[in-house]
Amino acid sequence: MKDNFRQSMKWFHTWVGLIVGWVLFFMFLTGSLGYFYQEITRWMEPERPFIEHNVSNEKLLDTAQIFLSKHAKSVDEFSIYLPNVRDQNLRVAWREPAEPGKKRGRRQSHIVDINTGDKVESRATGGGRLLYRMHYRLHYLSTKVSYWIVGFCSMLMLLAVITGVVIHKKIFTDFFTFRAKKGLLGWLDIHNVLSVIALPFHFMITYSGLLFFLFTYMALSTNLQISDDEYSELRKEIFPRTAQIESKNQAADMLDISTLYQQAKRTWKTDELLSVKVYAANDNNAQVRFVRHETDITYNPEDQVLVNAITGEIIPQIAKKYTVSGMIHNGFFSLHEGQFAGPIARWIYFFTGLIGTAMIASGLILWTTKRKPKQMKKPNGPDFGYRLVEQLNIGTIVGLPIAIATYFYANRLLPVDMAERSAWEANVMFISWAVLLIYPIFRPANKAWREQLQLAALAYMALPLVNILTTDKHLINSLIKQDWGLAAFDMTFLVIGCCFAFSAYKYKALQVNKKVRKPAIRHGSRQVTKQKNKQNEKDERENEGLLNLQQANKGNS
Amino acid sequence: MEFLVSYFINCFNFSSPRWAVFSRSLVAIFGGYALATSCSLFISQLLLNSVGKYQAIHIGLLFSFLVYACAAMWVFSVLNATKAWIDIIKANVFFAVATWLLMQFTGANS
Amino acid sequence: MFVLISLCFSVMVLFCLAMKKHREQVLTQTVPNLVVLFFRPLAWLLLLLTAYLSVELFGWSIGLALLFGALTIATLLLTLLLTYRANIVPRLAIALPFMASLSIVPINF
Repeated sequence: MKDNFRQSMKWFHTWVGLIVGWVLFFMFLTGSLGYFYQEITRWMEPERPFIEHNVSNEKLLDTAQIFLSKHAKSVDEFSIYLPNVRDQNLRVAWREPAEPGKKRGRRQSHIVDINTGDKVESRATGGGRLLYRMHYRLHYLSTKVSYWIVGFCSMLMLLAVITGVVIHKKIFTDFFTFRAKKGLLGWLDIHNVLSVIALPFHFMITYSGLLFFLFTYMALSTNLQISDDEYSELRKEIFPRTAQIESKNQAADMLDISTLYQQAKRTWKTDELLSVKVYAANDNNAQVRFVRHETDITYNPEDQVLVNAITGEIIPQIAKKYTVSGMIHNGFFSLHEGQFAGPIARWIYFFTGLIGTAMIASGLILWTTKRKPKQMKKPNGPDFGYRLVEQLNIGTIVGLPIAIATYFYANRLLPVDMAERSAWEANVMFISWAVLLIYPIFRPANKAWREQLQLAALAYMALPLVNILTTDKHLINSLIKQDWGLAAFDMTFLVIGCCFAFSAYKYKALQVNKKVRKPAIRHGSRQVTKQKNKQNEKDERENEGLLNLQQANKGNS
Repeated sequence: MEFLVSYFINCFNFSSPRWAVFSRSLVAIFGGYALATSCSLFISQLLLNSVGKYQAIHIGLLFSFLVYACAAMWVFSVLNATKAWIDIIKANVFFAVATWLLMQFTGANS
Repeated sequence: MFVLISLCFSVMVLFCLAMKKHREQVLTQTVPNLVVLFFRPLAWLLLLLTAYLSVELFGWSIGLALLFGALTIATLLLTLLLTYRANIVPRLAIALPFMASLSIVPINF
């Protein structure tokens, strides 16, 4: 392509990053939010009660069991999720018996109020789950189409990461180099620093993202080698499951779950319980599985304790067996999802995800910054391609965060009994994104940047206020109740708002500086616009001429 | 009429750099995919007897994305698009033949 | 976790002290050449120690993953400080690990 390998890779890096940069930005941002999807869902369901401090696990289990005996008497398999750092409410879930003609019944999941023992009716909302599903499932598109789009984009991301390492000449000598300069050099440094410091993360997240749909993307290879039956065996080997526990259809009385829990407590020597799953309830073969927070990336059999619910004895578990490659595969999944992460590690995950997002954004801005001087000198204004990239940049890099804010607004402001409510939350988000994508077309680039930054600052800072006006689960109350998870959420909005306000202020300051320093150029640019208008008219006339000619040709032939 | 002809010749100017890039993208996407597949077949045949069938296939698949990435980089680094086509086809044929030979050796029948 | 991040910060400070252009940024007085030679090996040693500590605290798999996370955050912090507040870097590099290590020392002596 170009003279040497590095040059051609530089070209490749530029274009690979550009074509799907905005989709990648969307994927990285919604994916980063995904690390907090439970917290987001909790915020979006304000009907849930506040956290209750110092309630023993035994009492929680009793409450859940009383609730289940009232509402799910005939169900023989159910789960109890205890309040934890991420989700401060008690939750129970089970599957309804399957309707005829269907493979599985509907899954029921309810929040239980610890004080009253009743179920909490929350508003219909997509919650954090819908938001984080967008990063691999997109929205509106069919599952298959979006998997292939996402796969294509991730592949280009992987290419961008690899070529990025190849073309970065001084990866170690420039490791800490960040020159706070304006223009091209500054953006280049930002892009480099953001890429290099989180390089392991970028590679891991991209590669593991591809692994999630390995068997979809590389279906040709598996189809060539094995039949469908063998394929399902292959999957079983990679993702081993624990054996299914069948009921014996002999009714028996179970011990209380809180009594059984003592066994797990003794085994672990700690009082940390994450969830409980009961199999074959009220049957002779009833078993209860106690699960604590993960202590290994792939699988640690000690994190689970299986207890016979009739006799109260611990059942020795047959540990799942992984092959080496299966271990690597599952390890990458686990690293991608970060389920093992505690609160601080979760924040680190979130920040690193944001570093990735910012890396993509800085790369996109770099593209325009590099071409700006040349494009501005063109007699008939910047090219269509340049303007398109610039507008997409403004509409995505600042527009998408605003759109996500409107998703939260929609959650608070749409009427609670609205039909299709959760679908409309997402619709509102995408409509506002579309508006913000179109808006920069009608404004000069620097004004559009500033206005959208200001709008973003306003949108995020006003969210806690709207929260105060519409619900009782607002910042002040959550601080009084010491519900730190909820309070942190509102405070994060404020911090994000401040960040946007700061960047809007900085942006304005830079613009003003430029104006003061170089009034001549501004004058020049006005002339350029005038010329541009003239040229446009000329172009239109020529186009008309061409059209006439073509019609005439058609007539001839 | 003359105008139309020249218009189309301008449109489909195969020597223009745009066509070269388009052609390279085609090799990178489809040729790269074929190479990733044939390479995964090769790896799985290579490891068949040492780690068992399923794991061998799985390891081959795990490497496929890296092969894909390298193939795409190769396609965009060689001198011209024709060479890229030829190189990728050569590599594909190589892996296919090598896999076939290995299959004779290992006695796999699929 | 704080211990990890602050130790990683010190590691990165040592690495950057080993480089001439950053040394001039951070330190006002000149350092003897002999000392400079020791910065990089020291950094690697401290990194090994941090890795060991991380594995000891969180287990093999999670420990290593968190180490990379901590390195990322520490480097980001250092890069920003180098640009805007270079003069407090050495003091911070010494003070932070000490403060953070209090969090893993059992207080009930």
